[in-house]
Amino acid sequence: MKKFEYKVPGGKLLRAKLEIGNGRITSLQLSGDFFMEPETDLEELETRLTGFKVEPAVYIEQTVLSFFTSHKTMIAGASPKDFAYVINQAVKA
Amino acid sequence: MPQRFRFLDLKVNDAYTNMAVDEAITKARGEGKVPDTLRFYMWKPSGVTLGYFQSVEDEVNLEALNRFGFDLNRRISGGGAVLNSETGEITYSVILREDDPLMSTDPVESYHLLCQGIIDALDVLGIKAEFKPINDIIVNGKKISGNAQIRRYGAVLHHGTLLVDFDAKQMFGVLKISKEKLSDKMIQQAEDRVTTVRRLLGRPIGFHEVRDALEKGYKKALNAELAKGDLTSYEQELVKQFRERYAGRAWIYRR
Repeated sequence: MKKFEYKVPGGKLLRAKLEIGNGRITSLQLSGDFFMEPETDLEELETRLTGFKVEPAVYIEQTVLSFFTSHKTMIAGASPKDFAYVINQAVKA
Repeated sequence: MPQRFRFLDLKVNDAYTNMAVDEAITKARGEGKVPDTLRFYMWKPSGVTLGYFQSVEDEVNLEALNRFGFDLNRRISGGGAVLNSETGEITYSVILREDDPLMSTDPVESYHLLCQGIIDALDVLGIKAEFKPINDIIVNGKKISGNAQIRRYGAVLHHGTLLVDFDAKQMFGVLKISKEKLSDKMIQQAEDRVTTVRRLLGRPIGFHEVRDALEKGYKKALNAELAKGDLTSYEQELVKQFRERYAGRAWIYRR
């Protein structure tokens, strides 16, 4: 289990826990004390990224950013970039 | 013109019922079956309430939780873990329709507006508090109240907690603030980040005095006319239904 924890400056705490097999994410859990609506978007993002290749990092980042944009997700205490960051850092952990 | 609110006065329930009541009112409000509502409540037994997106293993010391005999629950709203202490705090919720003119599309503005009732309540008690974005109320830089909002069923639920008294051993025993061992030094540091009504007033204050101040504070902040009321039979049915979910392991341990 790889894990990375990040406190957004002036914002909330984000955590990513993931497992990797054959260069792909096999399980992913995001958590923290941020606010997100609709709340189902977080699970949907986790599902979307499961099976993803972990390289290159920019691939995960673009997927996360476009996911939140297309879902019009309201997030307080963190930005879409912060979510991409904790996931990519957990990959490297 | 004042806005009319149904007022559900201070009642004590367990964690699962308390969270089920908040959700039941939110659903009924969104469906237009009940008026805007202000609710004050307390907890028995004490319980840790996780934010919707938090994971149990990262936030809660289960061994200490069981030792103290506290409940564990998860909110439908985001935000951080709270120890809802049966002797140390009052919890409140405000439920409005999502399209209420009081609400802003900017989440931080919405928090500020609905936190103002607590700031005004503390002012009644002679305490100068301020809003700290996103969702906290602080006095002299220390947190005294945490809040969470969620839009659901066409309504907005804003709930939060006001620290009246504080037991550092309990709070930092059950909440994982740091991986460090719970040394006295750690308690001291964490304790420095929070404050309570009793500490600020330097005297023991009863819950009824705090409750009275909250009522005055919310009346002022929301320009509200409060009409004492009860849950409708529809809401009570919803409470039964929702309580089962809140008390279930699938909900509590979902993350």
